Amino acid sequence: MSEQVAFQHIEKSSLIGQRIKKPDAPAKAIGKTRYINDMVLPQMLYGKILHAGRPHAEIIDIDISAASSLPGVHLVITAKDIPDLKLGFVKDNAPLKDKVRCERDEVAAVAAESEAIAAEAIKLIRVTYKDLPGVFSAEDGLKDGAPVIQERFPDNKSLKFEFHHGDLAGAEAGSDIVLDDVFNVHYVTHCCMGTSCAIADFDHNGKLTIYSQTQYPYNYKMDLAPALGIDPGDIRVIQPPTGGSFGAKLDVYPFEPVAAILAQKTGRPVKILFDRQEEFINSPTRQPARIHLRSGCTKDGILTFRAADVLMDNGAYTSWGPTVPVIMMRTTSGHYRVPVVDFTGQAVYSNNAYAGSFRGYGNVQMTYATAQHMDMLAEKLDMDPIEFRLKNAQKSGETTPQKSFLRECALAECLTTAADAADYVAKLKKYTDERSEEGRYKRGIGLASSIHNAGGAKIHKSDGCGTILKMDDYARVTVITGASEIGQGIDAVIGQIVSEELGVPPEHVTLVNNDSDLGPWDVGVHASRTTFIAGNGARRAAIKAKEQILAAASKQANVSAEELDLRGGYVVQDKDGAVVTRLDKMLRQMHFQPEPDVVMVSDYYEPNSEPEGRDHISDHSAAYAHAVHIAEVVVDTFTGEVKLEKITMAQDVGRVINRMGLEAQMEGGVAFGIGFALSEEMLFEQGRLKNPNFRDYKVPTAPEMPEIEMHFIESDCAEGPYGAKGIAELPTIVIAPAIANAVYNATGIRFFNPPMTPEKVARAIWEKTQQ
Amino acid sequence: MSEIEQYLAPENLASALEVMAAGAVTLVAGGTDLTPQINEGRRSYAPTLINIRHIEGLSGISAPDGHIRIGCLTTVSEIRQSDLLTTAAPILCEAANHFASEQIRNAATIGGNICNASPAGDMIIPLLVLGARVELASWKDGGVVVRQVALKDFFTGPGRTVRRDDELLTAVIFARPAENFIGYFRKSGPRPALEISTVSLGIGGNLTDGRFSDVRVAFGAVGPTPMRGKNTEAALEGKILTPDVIQAAVVAARKDVTPIDDIRATEWYRNHLVAVFTEELLQNVCQN
Repeated sequence: MSEQVAFQHIEKSSLIGQRIKKPDAPAKAIGKTRYINDMVLPQMLYGKILHAGRPHAEIIDIDISAASSLPGVHLVITAKDIPDLKLGFVKDNAPLKDKVRCERDEVAAVAAESEAIAAEAIKLIRVTYKDLPGVFSAEDGLKDGAPVIQERFPDNKSLKFEFHHGDLAGAEAGSDIVLDDVFNVHYVTHCCMGTSCAIADFDHNGKLTIYSQTQYPYNYKMDLAPALGIDPGDIRVIQPPTGGSFGAKLDVYPFEPVAAILAQKTGRPVKILFDRQEEFINSPTRQPARIHLRSGCTKDGILTFRAADVLMDNGAYTSWGPTVPVIMMRTTSGHYRVPVVDFTGQAVYSNNAYAGSFRGYGNVQMTYATAQHMDMLAEKLDMDPIEFRLKNAQKSGETTPQKSFLRECALAECLTTAADAADYVAKLKKYTDERSEEGRYKRGIGLASSIHNAGGAKIHKSDGCGTILKMDDYARVTVITGASEIGQGIDAVIGQIVSEELGVPPEHVTLVNNDSDLGPWDVGVHASRTTFIAGNGARRAAIKAKEQILAAASKQANVSAEELDLRGGYVVQDKDGAVVTRLDKMLRQMHFQPEPDVVMVSDYYEPNSEPEGRDHISDHSAAYAHAVHIAEVVVDTFTGEVKLEKITMAQDVGRVINRMGLEAQMEGGVAFGIGFALSEEMLFEQGRLKNPNFRDYKVPTAPEMPEIEMHFIESDCAEGPYGAKGIAELPTIVIAPAIANAVYNATGIRFFNPPMTPEKVARAIWEKTQQ
Repeated sequence: MSEIEQYLAPENLASALEVMAAGAVTLVAGGTDLTPQINEGRRSYAPTLINIRHIEGLSGISAPDGHIRIGCLTTVSEIRQSDLLTTAAPILCEAANHFASEQIRNAATIGGNICNASPAGDMIIPLLVLGARVELASWKDGGVVVRQVALKDFFTGPGRTVRRDDELLTAVIFARPAENFIGYFRKSGPRPALEISTVSLGIGGNLTDGRFSDVRVAFGAVGPTPMRGKNTEAALEGKILTPDVIQAAVVAARKDVTPIDDIRATEWYRNHLVAVFTEELLQNVCQN
């Protein structure tokens, strides 16, 4: 009884918006976490792949005799040893190749007792190639007589996406200003700390268990099975802790079926783990693009049209990369109020690397163009740059030409909040005036904004997520969710949401989400969707559990369930928090009564959105959000070095859930954006990557991170959990054009071809002085 | 990867040199250059791998009779934190500040950085400005023999030096700079850490009443070896650093260097940075 006296009344409190620690952080910080890269299974063999190392060639002969007879080698396979089964978005890829179409092409594979033996065996494989002339750009791929890369596509044309809305000719005629520019957005890659890895293990019934870094375990089975000739139902996906994904693991790539084939044929578990150089050459890139953008407006500053002609280098095979126009066109049509839209995106096969999905997914590329055009239009109009943007900013309740319904639209608030906080308009004018003055170092300020889906993206027929929730006799909660944890923080968020509803501490919630045999279906971690979709699912499941408990408590206490609540581990009276009974005791009573019951609930949450559709006219996300970044830079006009001093951001997050996780996502997004804007670039020469290492592929280091001032706009999304929207991609999307606009403000030079490396900036400044 | 047949970790110099006299060896100290070169297939191990880290007497910074002596095993971190060098030759500490990252500085040795003979070797530039010599020890007729070579004559090409395979670089030595010595180091690269220089530059000399003398200029990453800038030195020697003299030095510097295009920068940018840095460092000297 004394305990009850101590907690006689428990006030209502909320965890939403608080700072919740990521449950796996301490183990990661002290090195205790066992990543997939660290895993060793009993009797495990080490697989290794021979990559072609040349961009385009016929394979005349492969001599595996020396490799096969090396002691410790169990198996050497080539394309001849496996069925002709395909994988990839248009089934143009294979686990092992009979023809070389790009540098990374998988030509042979070995399974051996150790990594060293496998590496030695790879060296002993003798391949006779006949090199073929190659295609090394989308433009070259379209030329008459260009070498054909994929026999099924004799004109080298891969995917094409179009969206047309309104009278383009009329809109152009009605424009007082028309901009016409070509932006070339470059190759970058994810640089996950954990390099690609898969461990495949068949049981004696022919069922495959694959330990994988995948971020979409359920559809992964569907994509992997055809390459193996087995039923997707015979694949179990286990997701050990992974060192980052960022979109790189949203598809099946050849090393995964290769590991499975080696395991199937040797009857032993097989692990394939890339070293860093392999990771650079053999994992997906961000989709590069040549964006020919035309934008128009009236002299009053009203946008009249946008026309975007996007040409993409498809590379040799088709993964998610060339599908990015699906998002690019939403940006073209929805980044500000654009009455007339003309969008075409065409991918062309080449002998270059091929792209996958990557945080920001097309929007990083498109916003680099649209946000600079907004800046350029404001300057041409000689109009207050915020006033110009506000004139064209959509408001709540508007619908874009593609029928994205902006139920809660906080673009105007994002613009004014960021601009006021950074004193943007005054600084912009001051730095413009200072541009012509003497001096080596020039300051600049730049603003960019964009829109992104913030309530999932219904690219499949369902964009839902399943949740199973159970409570034990000690009031501990287990949540089995379809949502994967790839470092982004859904573990903390689900714990927080469930504890909010059930009145238990977050550390009393255990998350199970790493085994496809246990978890219910989910479409994967992508599209900034997990907090929104899985968070809603977890909340709905928790509410069902709560209703079940309160119904039981209501019977026992003879009070209506509506008058009860769960707080601090107790069942309480909702109105004053008076304790009714302890939660664990209540659960045991439910369990051990004449009609026993335990708390076990499930939920399948399907967001209120429409499938993308072939015509791309659909409300494909249950919410949309905007972000504005303002970058302040100092340019060394002699060396060309751009120092990013500060980012002021305002983003519509709907509602803050885990403030710590939200801030970390913003910081991570900024780091990605800085690399894309200023230093990261995969340098290809005739299809070969020249900088497959961290020495020459320059990811930003800690000292390059600027001060970041964050303003979170809470628009209270009707559909999101507690009002939250998806948040993770926008910070990566808007920073690069903000930096480009700032560099323009400092130097008067537009950079249409990122990254803005010191040499590129110095050269442009020098060339300007020579004119 | 070729097989290592023998691994040795000698504790005294004589036994290391004796093994080196007998046949091909690979030396390892910090391993920060060796390991990536092996991994990238640019180098292979000799049958005998000698870890020289345990050899007594090869580490540390001392100041014998008007000179500074830095043992070959001294790490870049030790140089960076040395009170003696901060006072006597801050240009070395400045270069150490910009060397790779904390972890690499803790492992990388001065002897390794010199013997790796990268045209972009960051510690070599200030040592050239300080007029350093290296001490090379070998085993002959049952005893240790030592010779000294001026650092400016040590390098013969990228990764190549006059050091014979049986010689160990034991120390780098330079005369303690005069009280009125001023030296500056500058390197470029888009990142403040973990950056291979696209251009590095060091300028030093004695400044008396505005007049610059005993001038030494060294360039990195703009030729096959780290090198002294003879034309630049001549343009500056004995001069008061007027704007005209500085411009003449910039012109001379462009003559001294022979950069190439590579993955890190074009010839144009390297030439451009040589001019920018030469002027910048001379302005620093003026403002001193």
